[in-house]
Amino acid sequence: MSTTLPNVLTRVALDHPDRGITVFDGRGRRGERRTYAELLDTVRTAAGRWAALGIRPGDRVIVALNTSWPLLEAWLGAVWLGALPVALAPGGAVGGGEAHIKRLAGLVQRLGPTTVLTSPRFATEAETLANDHPEIAESLRTAAARARAAAPFAETPAASVEAATPHPDDIAFLQLTSGSTGHPRAVMIPHRTVIHNNNASAGAIGAPRGGSVFDTADSVVAWLPLNHDMGLVGCLFMALMGGLELVLLPPTAFLARPQTWLRELGRNGRVFSPAPNFGYQLCVERLATDDPVLADLDLAGWDNAMTGAEMIRPETIEAFQHRFAGAGFRPEAFRPCYGLAEGTLAVTFDIQGRGARWRPSPSGEDVVSVGEPIADTRIEIRKPDGGVCPDGAVGEVCVSGPSVFAGYWNDPEATAESLRDGWLHTGDLGFLHDGELYLTGRLKDLLIIRGHNVMPHELEWLAESVVGGGGALRSGAFTIDGGGQGEQAVVVVEVATDLDRLADADHEIRKRIGRELSLTVADVAFVRRGRIPKTTSGKVKRRELRQRYLDGALDRLI
Amino acid sequence: MDKNEMQRQARAVIAELSDHEASNLEPSMDLVADLGFDSPKALQLLVTLEERLDIEISDDDAAKLDSVGDIDAYLAAL
Repeated sequence: MSTTLPNVLTRVALDHPDRGITVFDGRGRRGERRTYAELLDTVRTAAGRWAALGIRPGDRVIVALNTSWPLLEAWLGAVWLGALPVALAPGGAVGGGEAHIKRLAGLVQRLGPTTVLTSPRFATEAETLANDHPEIAESLRTAAARARAAAPFAETPAASVEAATPHPDDIAFLQLTSGSTGHPRAVMIPHRTVIHNNNASAGAIGAPRGGSVFDTADSVVAWLPLNHDMGLVGCLFMALMGGLELVLLPPTAFLARPQTWLRELGRNGRVFSPAPNFGYQLCVERLATDDPVLADLDLAGWDNAMTGAEMIRPETIEAFQHRFAGAGFRPEAFRPCYGLAEGTLAVTFDIQGRGARWRPSPSGEDVVSVGEPIADTRIEIRKPDGGVCPDGAVGEVCVSGPSVFAGYWNDPEATAESLRDGWLHTGDLGFLHDGELYLTGRLKDLLIIRGHNVMPHELEWLAESVVGGGGALRSGAFTIDGGGQGEQAVVVVEVATDLDRLADADHEIRKRIGRELSLTVADVAFVRRGRIPKTTSGKVKRRELRQRYLDGALDRLI
Repeated sequence: MDKNEMQRQARAVIAELSDHEASNLEPSMDLVADLGFDSPKALQLLVTLEERLDIEISDDDAAKLDSVGDIDAYLAAL
């Protein structure tokens, strides 16, 4: 049995040489397939290229490329060599070029000496940006100097290298917890936890059919990016470990045309495929009841439709089941789950295969069961004083077991806060009922939009940069429940400016947030200076602000 | 298809996907701030433009399309 990722790559090439991976282009029009035997060759070559470029075991390499063969080769090649790959979302599809450059530069600074594999334009664009932004010029120039484009990388003559022979406890890769401009945290994942998490997940997913899903599925169809834990661990590693066929669509292909995903689900035998709630919602929104696409879909082979990575909405579940029942989708195919990068990925699954079920939380809203802990894993719901909550009471979800991460890269403070006495404090709130976990919210002021984590201060900095508060004027960002639409971002901003200039400020705030963070803001509310509740030390009380907003008690100007 | 016709059709696509009247679209309008294109919608726009106009927009070019005017200019320069 494999104990490290290089073992997994060797094993799958030996045991399933004819199965493989098909990677589609960014529009989902054409796919290029390689067998696992061929994959192993390309991974060895890519490792040799990294070595020829001076990369040594333990070095960090950032790979900021769209889902593509060059991404897979570079990422897995780094693992083969024993270097630590970090997958980062590439620049936004429309707009957002500048934000991506700043984000990458911040990450280079944080991870220490690194090499970056990215778009050929990156280096020149970062240099240009450095001239306009003296305050971050140094980090931009450092990133530019470290950047390499994928095309020349692919032509670098490969040195001859041996596969790394890591200890299972050695770190295999770093997973970013948010694509943030502020403080991205790099989660350290050892080989051992990846192997454990995938085997335990395979057992949980396969349980209703009496075994591991590795034995009952033919393929994995994925559109989640590999910089997302559900794409990397939940799709790529699941396929490699189980020797399953993998169909990999770039997220852009799915977002542009959700039917690209649904079609592939009907062409690959017994399939499993995960998505955050918004993915299912997007299918319902884009494909109306009378859409001719529906008639061509065959979802009968989609045995496992995992839903996780953000709040699961009963209305989305019902709408999706209803819309796609005619295409053969079965309600019990829905497999709610809960996970996070700090848990390698999966923590709980609907192990019994009963489909999505919900019950009222103590505060009355319907919440979906995310199931029971995977093998060897324990969950406790803790009170703020550390005591364990009784069944049904809401507290912080804490996790222990062999899939818990090894800490954050170069951030002992954050690690100590998150890992205490062997328990991962997730920051998620929930309750247990009959051994099943129900999530109700978050302890941390974290926004989860379309399955991606965003820190509220990222929106606040951008809003404050527009009104030019210089610290005196503050803002607060939070999300409100948008039903099936998921969480919707709201920013409340203090202003001293004339009322007639607020429309311009509103426009500029939306524009900057859209550009920098690739998200749309549901509402920008302006209030007079001092109207945002703060602690004595001046920290914005976001929870209280949100409540005032919901109660209509903000005193908003417009 | 000549450039003017391409621009006219592009405006029609933007209008359709953003629920605006094509005649109300101004070059200065920002796709995100004014027309509400979040990233899934922006990609839908991109692919629809490619299909209707029979063009291919590279990722690098797409990253620079921020406004209605940027799309006009991009099509004019093809």
